[in-house]
Amino acid sequence: MTQPRLFGGGPVMMFADDRSRRSFLKWAGIMGVGATLAAAGARSGFASAQADEGDIGILNYALTLEYLEEDFYGRGADSGLLKGRAGEIVAAIRDHETEHIAAIESTITDLGGTPVKRPKLDYPKGVFKDKRAWMETALDFSQLGVEAYHGQVTLIQSPELLMAAAAIAGVESRHAAVIAQLAGRQPFPAPIEQSAPKSRVLKTVKPFISG
Amino acid sequence: MKDMNRRTFFKSSVAALPLASVAVAQPAWAQGADFKSDVDILNFALIAEYFLSAFYREGSPMLSSKEAGYISDIGADEDAHIAAITATVQDLGGTPTMAPALDYGDVFNDRKKYLGFALRFENLFGGAYLGAAGQISNKEILQAAAGIYGTEERHAAVIANLLQEPAEGGVFNGALTQAADKRTVLQALRPFVKNPQTTTVEAAVTL
Repeated sequence: MTQPRLFGGGPVMMFADDRSRRSFLKWAGIMGVGATLAAAGARSGFASAQADEGDIGILNYALTLEYLEEDFYGRGADSGLLKGRAGEIVAAIRDHETEHIAAIESTITDLGGTPVKRPKLDYPKGVFKDKRAWMETALDFSQLGVEAYHGQVTLIQSPELLMAAAAIAGVESRHAAVIAQLAGRQPFPAPIEQSAPKSRVLKTVKPFISG
Repeated sequence: MKDMNRRTFFKSSVAALPLASVAVAQPAWAQGADFKSDVDILNFALIAEYFLSAFYREGSPMLSSKEAGYISDIGADEDAHIAAITATVQDLGGTPTMAPALDYGDVFNDRKKYLGFALRFENLFGGAYLGAAGQISNKEILQAAAGIYGTEERHAAVIANLLQEPAEGGVFNGALTQAADKRTVLQALRPFVKNPQTTTVEAAVTL
């Protein structure tokens, strides 16, 4: 598998505060899978009726990726680069990411957690230069979105949250497939969705992080 | 478009599922749900995979070569799902469901009907995997089932796009996939199962 070089490898994401940054890095795997599993499993016996600290962490990780996706697809939809069918598809994708953000934010709040803030995003030159450049980034980016969700499936403790995250993940799969189809690439890269291993997420998210 | 990487990955991720937690009891929140066990869920999924696999193998003479290529790839995915689910059921000590005898009716000589039929059932089975996900006990099986679910979602989106369905309400059906329950799926399948009383679907189809 080739390592995607998202956004030309330049820094994109400026976290709003240190808590947001730490939360994202933790769930992106940068702190190591040991720390991740320990956090996910850190439940007291009576905590099952309440949100897991681990589940809130996973939700905040997903929220950060969704912020980035909404911004990227939104700028793509508004850029004028994408005409006709591609424009229609990407605008719908942007709307989904907006809904995912609202759903995840309210779920975190309902569970007694605090949603991470929207990061400041600064794209390297060239990402919105032309349709081809944008689609190349979108290919990697949409695939990463799928694999990031699938990487969390077995770590989610709450069955309700599992269903909610899976309902989002399925739509992310649709996004990735249609973007690949629009780009003339293979929309079915594997018979089952892959989950992003720690090493790959680490390499992929590091370039986003400049804060 | 298929290559060895796909199959290699698939083998390592699904066929060789570690089954250390097989004996885990059904969690409390799954009591009274559609399925009695992970084997039950996998056998239910197997019926859906058989249903799609045979449909894609039949193909349609009305498709463009590009469309036929997509259908061939999608069918290969379903075959891979069948192989993996069958192996997993056997590893769990269960008996894999046999393929039912099916009659899809008169859809093969009409491009729109053929692709529309595929779209309908990809949407439904994607929702069915989602509906069953919360009832899966074994985490490795959950990971694999979620991965299969995502692939069915991909199939649906690509087929809808071939049909030039609208982005929203066609290629996509909202920001969240809607789960489908077992009863809904079986009712949708029943008209196409030949002699349901004499097939292995009997237990499932007799609601």
